[in-house]
Amino acid sequence: MFAPKQDWEQPAAMVGGVEGIDMAKPAVIVVGADKGGVGKTTVSRTLLDYFNANSVPTRAFDTESPRGTLKRFHPDITEIVDMTTTSDQMKIFDTLNTASPSVTVIDVRAGLLSPALASLRDIGFLDAAKSGQITFAVFHILGPSIASLDEIAETANFMSGAKYFLVKNFINDTQFFQWDQATYNSYFHRIKDATDLVIPKLNEMAYEQVEVASVPFLKFVANKGPRDEAANYSFVLRGYVRHWLANVWSEFDRIKLTDIVGSGKAVPRSSEK
Amino acid sequence: MPATPVYIVGSPRPQVGKTLVARLLSEFLLLKNGRVTSFDINLKEPSLLDYLPDVTETADVIDTYGKMQLMDRIIVDDGLSKVIDLGYHAFDEFFKMSDQIGFLKEAARRNVAPIILFVADIDRTSARAHEMLKLQIPPSNLIVIDNEYVVRGELPDAMSHGRVLRITALPTFLKTYIDRLTFSFTGYLRQEKDSSTELHQWIRRNYFMFRELELNLILQKS
Repeated sequence: MFAPKQDWEQPAAMVGGVEGIDMAKPAVIVVGADKGGVGKTTVSRTLLDYFNANSVPTRAFDTESPRGTLKRFHPDITEIVDMTTTSDQMKIFDTLNTASPSVTVIDVRAGLLSPALASLRDIGFLDAAKSGQITFAVFHILGPSIASLDEIAETANFMSGAKYFLVKNFINDTQFFQWDQATYNSYFHRIKDATDLVIPKLNEMAYEQVEVASVPFLKFVANKGPRDEAANYSFVLRGYVRHWLANVWSEFDRIKLTDIVGSGKAVPRSSEK
Repeated sequence: MPATPVYIVGSPRPQVGKTLVARLLSEFLLLKNGRVTSFDINLKEPSLLDYLPDVTETADVIDTYGKMQLMDRIIVDDGLSKVIDLGYHAFDEFFKMSDQIGFLKEAARRNVAPIILFVADIDRTSARAHEMLKLQIPPSNLIVIDNEYVVRGELPDAMSHGRVLRITALPTFLKTYIDRLTFSFTGYLRQEKDSSTELHQWIRRNYFMFRELELNLILQKS
């Protein structure tokens, strides 16, 4: 079943408003991998914190239906959806132009990245991205195995018109085969225009403490609880999270993420002061 | 309110007099304020804990839990002076961690004043460590300890430009005397009636130096 004809099927100049008036294009960021446990939700959380710090209105969809991890950390802006159903696909994509946040982050459940991209192709979303009506970016989180790297080729088939980011998430001491240039090149240089992103490792105890606190990284650094009440997190752990988050955000700054989603330059952020 | 001082006595080299400085400072603060908390991160050398067991706790920076136990205590503005005897094996990890977690910035925010007392030596490891500290620590918080017994001459040029506290060498027999675990500097001042003895003057000189250091801290804050 296909969704009705969408706004983004109109000419680019008409999207989101009156012809000739420059309106922000909707931006969709898909975070995914076909393997589990590689840090998809962690990266999604850093993205939501980054947009929050840069005052970019953002909404998020958590496809870990029925129980969403992303929603636990960002309940106010996250909705749990089942991306395999047409009704939930409509909930995400039919509202791109009507929803007030211009940026949509989708945390795609393990194993669903390729099928999700295939669905996007089928409903004409990838073509709309290709023609410039929508900004579409994929953060492909890589795990430390050849199987994980093999996904790159599979995913690459869908990537024309999208910004494709290969995210090396250093959840452990993996090297991503950088010690073997032939293997490394065969994967990482396979796709033209793919950009590497590095997510450094976060101290394990700090990560666990944020998990227990169930708050966004930003609130943890600011020593706040879920309802902005004063909390009493360890100064050391907050320091580790602040340092790590600054490194992650510097990667997002490097790829000019705020420009990509059409909200201009990154602003100085309070957590980096 | 004056800032709560945290004195960190450290060097990347063993046997340069860190524990001696930490002992002197702890005893001075105990005499002046009536209380002090000292932390011994010095598992491979003569240990502050052996000399001042009543005011000293052991700590480590090997794992995150140990770092939390230490740093979450010393970042508190409770008016209680703290002294850290930082062993050479923990020197790099401590300052790497404090840089990562933004210890100095957070300390300034919370009215805590970290003072790093770097015990100098003339080798390359010490020179590199001092360079690293200069990049990380504001000049007003970094003090070089020129322990005459160790340096035996001029300080390396790079270390002599900032604030320097000089600890004069004692004759060997007096050094052996103060190295005894039962020896107390303040106890000696109280018991020894003859204030002209070399040891008496040596202790008073060092206490006076620390008093100046405390006064500077108050002046900086005001």
